[in-house]
Amino acid sequence: MFLQTVANGILIGGIYAAFSIGFQLVFGVLDVVDFAVGGWVMLGGYGGYWSARLLGAELYVSLPLCLIAFGILGYLMGPLIYRVRTSRYARPTLMALAFTFGVATFMRGGALTLWGFDTRSVTTAFGGMSVQLLGLTFPLLRLIAFGLALVTTLALLAFLRGTRLGLGIRATAQSKEHAALLGVDVKRISMLVYGIYTGITGMMGVLLAAIYSVTPEVGIRYTLLAFFMVVLAGLGSVTGVLAAGLLLGVLEALVAIYIGASYSYLLVFGVLYLTLLVAPEGLFRRPRRA
Amino acid sequence: MRWVLAVALGLAALAIAVSLPFWAGGYWTRIATGIFMWAGLACSWNIVGGYAGYINFGQVAFFGVGAYATGILMNDPYDWTFPATVPAGLTASAILAGAVGWPTLRLRGAYFAIATWAFAEALFQISTVLDITGGPAGLSLPPIVDERLFYYLMAAAAAGTYGIAYLLLERSRFGYRLTALRDNETAAETLGINTASVKVSAFVLSAILSALFGSIFAYWVTFINPRSVLGGDITDQMVIMVLVGGLGSLWGPALGAAILYLVNRLLWSYWGDTVIYIVILGVAIAAVVLFLPDGLISLWPRHRRRNLLGAALGRLGRWKRDA
Amino acid sequence: MTAAQPSAILEVRDLRRAFGGIKAANGVSFETRAQEILGVIGPNGSGKSTLFNLISGTLRPDSGRIVFKGADIAGWKPYRIARAGIGRTFQIPALFQNMTVAANLLAAAVEGDWRGAPRRVEEVLELLTLERLRDSPASDLSGGQQKLLELGRVLMRDCELLLLDEVTAGVNPAIRAVILDTVQLMRRRGRTFLVIEHDMEFIRSICERIIVMDFGEVVASGDFDSVTQDSQVMRAYLGRPA
Repeated sequence: MFLQTVANGILIGGIYAAFSIGFQLVFGVLDVVDFAVGGWVMLGGYGGYWSARLLGAELYVSLPLCLIAFGILGYLMGPLIYRVRTSRYARPTLMALAFTFGVATFMRGGALTLWGFDTRSVTTAFGGMSVQLLGLTFPLLRLIAFGLALVTTLALLAFLRGTRLGLGIRATAQSKEHAALLGVDVKRISMLVYGIYTGITGMMGVLLAAIYSVTPEVGIRYTLLAFFMVVLAGLGSVTGVLAAGLLLGVLEALVAIYIGASYSYLLVFGVLYLTLLVAPEGLFRRPRRA
Repeated sequence: MRWVLAVALGLAALAIAVSLPFWAGGYWTRIATGIFMWAGLACSWNIVGGYAGYINFGQVAFFGVGAYATGILMNDPYDWTFPATVPAGLTASAILAGAVGWPTLRLRGAYFAIATWAFAEALFQISTVLDITGGPAGLSLPPIVDERLFYYLMAAAAAGTYGIAYLLLERSRFGYRLTALRDNETAAETLGINTASVKVSAFVLSAILSALFGSIFAYWVTFINPRSVLGGDITDQMVIMVLVGGLGSLWGPALGAAILYLVNRLLWSYWGDTVIYIVILGVAIAAVVLFLPDGLISLWPRHRRRNLLGAALGRLGRWKRDA
Repeated sequence: MTAAQPSAILEVRDLRRAFGGIKAANGVSFETRAQEILGVIGPNGSGKSTLFNLISGTLRPDSGRIVFKGADIAGWKPYRIARAGIGRTFQIPALFQNMTVAANLLAAAVEGDWRGAPRRVEEVLELLTLERLRDSPASDLSGGQQKLLELGRVLMRDCELLLLDEVTAGVNPAIRAVILDTVQLMRRRGRTFLVIEHDMEFIRSICERIIVMDFGEVVASGDFDSVTQDSQVMRAYLGRPA
């Protein structure tokens, strides 16, 4: 039972980790805490739902579809976020925070208005099947989701480490001024990063809507989870976020089984709060080189 | 000449406000009561969010503490009268704010926002599992319907709140310390300002004021549950009201509160639900950030001078005359 | 090292502070006598600003003592140290960007004599020739003017020990002259100065003594001529013999 729970937790944790890497990337490159991260997950879920409903699309169609659709959407929104971040305000960080908060609110309100309070799920043929491995039962859907999350994460990392564009992104994350001096088009990079992030996050939303379900209110929960992972991991630590994601998945699963589902939320909040007090820079941060 | 006009308008507004329940009818009196409450809540949030520059996404926690203090103490086995519960609520929120504020205010910017949010949500979760708060079902308070009483209570609380805010923030050293630490906390420290203590004081003050409105609210609506007094929506509303009205200004929050609350009530009476209101909120805040970051109040011609720069200069002028 | 003189207002003993592997302060020891203007020079990265951060409390030392007027202030919080009578300017001006020049000065007096502050604001504005700019937001000021305002804020507080971090860096000759006159005026009024500078002319004209830092340590101290003729100093600082 215990091992099964942990295994389930790890599978979900992989998905969490995937979209929080995007979140962390945005944090690093654009210097923005995107309160709308959960909103993107939520919209992704609806995207998946409507793809299945209207187009009869199976996951292998709706996933890349949402990846591209949300990626483009994010890329187009990028200039707005960039503008908010770089405008001459008295309090630029606050304004960016408020803006993404407004976006999140808009998403939630829009979803409620258009689609109501009902719970939707993404229907997929993979839903009912499961696989036996090492004496444990793995729902096929979760395995696929985990696999996809893993592949996406690795692809993203390879892109960041291995390509010139990826180098430009990492340089911008380190220091915008220096990157600009070296000829990097910070604005375009920002747009690109935001698009990558929304694409991945939206795609993960499809998976989560298939495994669980989606309502307009789930956005808040996923935003919280993203915060949790990034805070635990600390800014700039990719391995940390992966670990934090898996940890979160396992923690949630264990609490839900052994204590009670309503306490899992409380636990997450509690741990998040305490972590911020004790180690605001994260538990996995890379030691700063002076 | 403009001075005379201002005084005349002020007196007229005062007369209207004081006499309103006698001619406006129950519906509008309730709306006015709601406006006073939200104006007061927005002002209380603005103390830490606007003047100190720390974005508190957990303000509702203190509102809820005040509400539950009144709710619990007015029921069995305590059966206190309403006026007796208010100091209890204020004290509880002050202690909580002090205990939570001290460590949390060491965090900066977004981390502080996340931490306060986590704290408030944790409190929400706790209230759904405890017996004393009635769990998810909530608490009932002794029934009372007296529109006038609650109108005057909320109005008085709001007036008191703005009075305190004016005296402490616009007219005193404390206000200077706050705006200094908001602008550049390191520099403020090297000028001798005990920023930790100043921040916590502002946080506690803000908490007490929110709790006051929480107590009155509980007594007014006679039924509270976690969603209605500890829900994140409440903080969201406060934040948006202040941002739309004018962050860091004295009257901006009132303006934002009045406008948004009226929009909310209008939508509710015409469409029966307020889901579209959420969309409007999101658009409002995005629009404010993009086009009017200093809020609607900055459109006031007088206020263009009366923003941070003008206010500081004005203070200097006033001090010169006093000295 | 000479024994502490009775008139030493500040005494730093074996001060250490490391960042990861970098020893920004590696056993710094020196003293400052009352009413003296002590220059602190050294190549970039030698630990001069770190030293100021340690004295003003912005950084906590790993070990060592900082004795100011008899009390060991090492590890005190910055506001306590400021109230004890130490003021500093920052290399990159840390002004209140959203306040006017006058408001910046007024804010500096918030922990001191508040009633007399407006009058002092006028005095300082006049002294630093900033009257024209009194209503301008600090963010509108030029680099040199910002340096003057930084200095003005410290003057408002009437500190006994003033730490000036490259206060003449990048300022035009007119502003430099104002700073020079102001420092000398304040010294006549009994204030003590620690001055980080790269401008040798400035150092030569106002500092009786200077200390030279390199790699987080004090490598030489004395009057201007003897220090600049020290070949070790020259090698460290200027990269060539005197």
